[in-house]
Amino acid sequence: MAKEVYSQMMKELGEGKYVFTGELEPEKAGNVDAPIKAAKEMMGLVCACNVTDNPQSFAYVSSLAAAYKIQLETGMECVYQLRCSDRNRMALLSDVLGAGTLGLKSILALAGDHVALGDTPDAKPVFDLDSTTLIHMIRKIVDEGKDLGGNEIEDPPKLNVGGAAAPGAAHLPSEVAKVKRKIKVGVDYIQTQVVYYQDVLDKFFKELGPTDVPILVGIYPAKSFGSADFFDKYVAGVDVPPDYLVAMKETKAIKDKEKKREEVDRINLEFFTDFLEHLKGTPAAGCHMMAVGYPRIVGPLKKVMD
Amino acid sequence: MIAQEQKPMEEILGFLNGKKNIVVVGCGGCATFYHTGDKKAVDDMAGKLEKEGKAVTKISMPLGMSACENEKLSIFLKKKQKEVENCDAILMMSCGDGVQVATEYTEEEMGIIKNVYPANDAIGLVGGGPYKFKETCQSCGMCELGKTAGICPLTACGKGLMNGPCGGVREGDKCEIDEEKDCAWVKIYKRMEKLGELDDFEEMNDPHEWGKMKRPRLFELKEPMSMMDMMGSMMNLNTISGYMSLMFAKTPEPEEEKKE
Repeated sequence: MAKEVYSQMMKELGEGKYVFTGELEPEKAGNVDAPIKAAKEMMGLVCACNVTDNPQSFAYVSSLAAAYKIQLETGMECVYQLRCSDRNRMALLSDVLGAGTLGLKSILALAGDHVALGDTPDAKPVFDLDSTTLIHMIRKIVDEGKDLGGNEIEDPPKLNVGGAAAPGAAHLPSEVAKVKRKIKVGVDYIQTQVVYYQDVLDKFFKELGPTDVPILVGIYPAKSFGSADFFDKYVAGVDVPPDYLVAMKETKAIKDKEKKREEVDRINLEFFTDFLEHLKGTPAAGCHMMAVGYPRIVGPLKKVMD
Repeated sequence: MIAQEQKPMEEILGFLNGKKNIVVVGCGGCATFYHTGDKKAVDDMAGKLEKEGKAVTKISMPLGMSACENEKLSIFLKKKQKEVENCDAILMMSCGDGVQVATEYTEEEMGIIKNVYPANDAIGLVGGGPYKFKETCQSCGMCELGKTAGICPLTACGKGLMNGPCGGVREGDKCEIDEEKDCAWVKIYKRMEKLGELDDFEEMNDPHEWGKMKRPRLFELKEPMSMMDMMGSMMNLNTISGYMSLMFAKTPEPEEEKKE
């Protein structure tokens, strides 16, 4: 468990509570009205929300600005996602110090998708650091008050740092070894990429073995067939089950909007109730619900774990 | 060597728009090896330009005579000094080094100010062959191969991560951005496993020292290779036996070549 606890999420994890987190996605817009609305809907249901940083390399509102504004206006604790794809180690350091200055308490350190996968494919990819060295840098800043070069940082920020894991990775042994590497450098918590298959998750936990670093398992209840299909086709390291996709596709034929919503909710509840029931028997310390643009599903899903 | 491809003719003709007299220089180094600067490539280019109404002066540098070396390029440019002086543009069938050495040499040493255009796009330093080549070294100035089982993650990993793999490894251990390419970090893992060094895989590699790569990098050779050295290197038994082996070796068919 983390040496120092700064965020509400780490506090609840430390108390042994089963933790739920949500996900908010800033858009390609000059405001963060939509994620603020979604954050308000999830208040009281989740203990924190991730604020995504250019997900799938689509360039959106800065996650630092969005996380700050959402936290300020709603009171929802924001987990600031920070990826290495777009910033060198200097810019990353500046943003980490910026996050502390703005009162953010938790960073999720990510390598990030390659820019070639997104809407700005001719951008120069950076990757000066990777997820592990970013976690290492944040540890050094927070714990020692020093940057990578050993330069002193006055009044260092108080932040917890998380890392990602991909239980569905095509080559599990190297993925597990990488997660162990992140644990060695001092990650406070792990949030996994989306998992759909129970046996995939079980295998991941078995290979990883016991750890005192809390692991939140990612699920993705999709608000529409289009979202589920996009995830299946374009999100690296994730396979959406064909049965779930077929069921979601059939909802496209429902003309009545209200009935369509009900059917989408029914499919998600049925699929994820089964998954969440299974999750109770795993070492997971919580569940990260990446219900982007779909906050109404969070409450009913959470009830499954009560 | 520096792999290269010829640019599309439309792009080349775009450079030469409104220019009548063209000097076409074919490099005798890498460009000759990759058929983008050999005599045939120069002849083909000249033919295409003449069809467009250009008057072409051809300079084909022989194998081993690289356009990126002042000493060698100067011999061939001086031979055609008059044509170079009177041309409207020089088209270099070489990598960008050749183009820029020609630009600098014509201006600073010959006092001739002409547009020097690239006919090729350089792809990078590659190894392998005889058909398939791949970029494996980016000459970063601080070799990391000693830490990564002899596979460069900065070059072979699509993201250049010092600590991988990323979360995007595809089925068949392929790269997130290109399913034709292997994930470098899975390869590093498998090689460390064979070497019995998997414990090292769980240790963090420090961030790469990019400070060793301050562009443009300058390099000074204390003793340039003399022609005598070059002749000596070419005329010894090892060279002769090496070339004889190559001459009699069966070149594999493309499909026989080890798949990457």
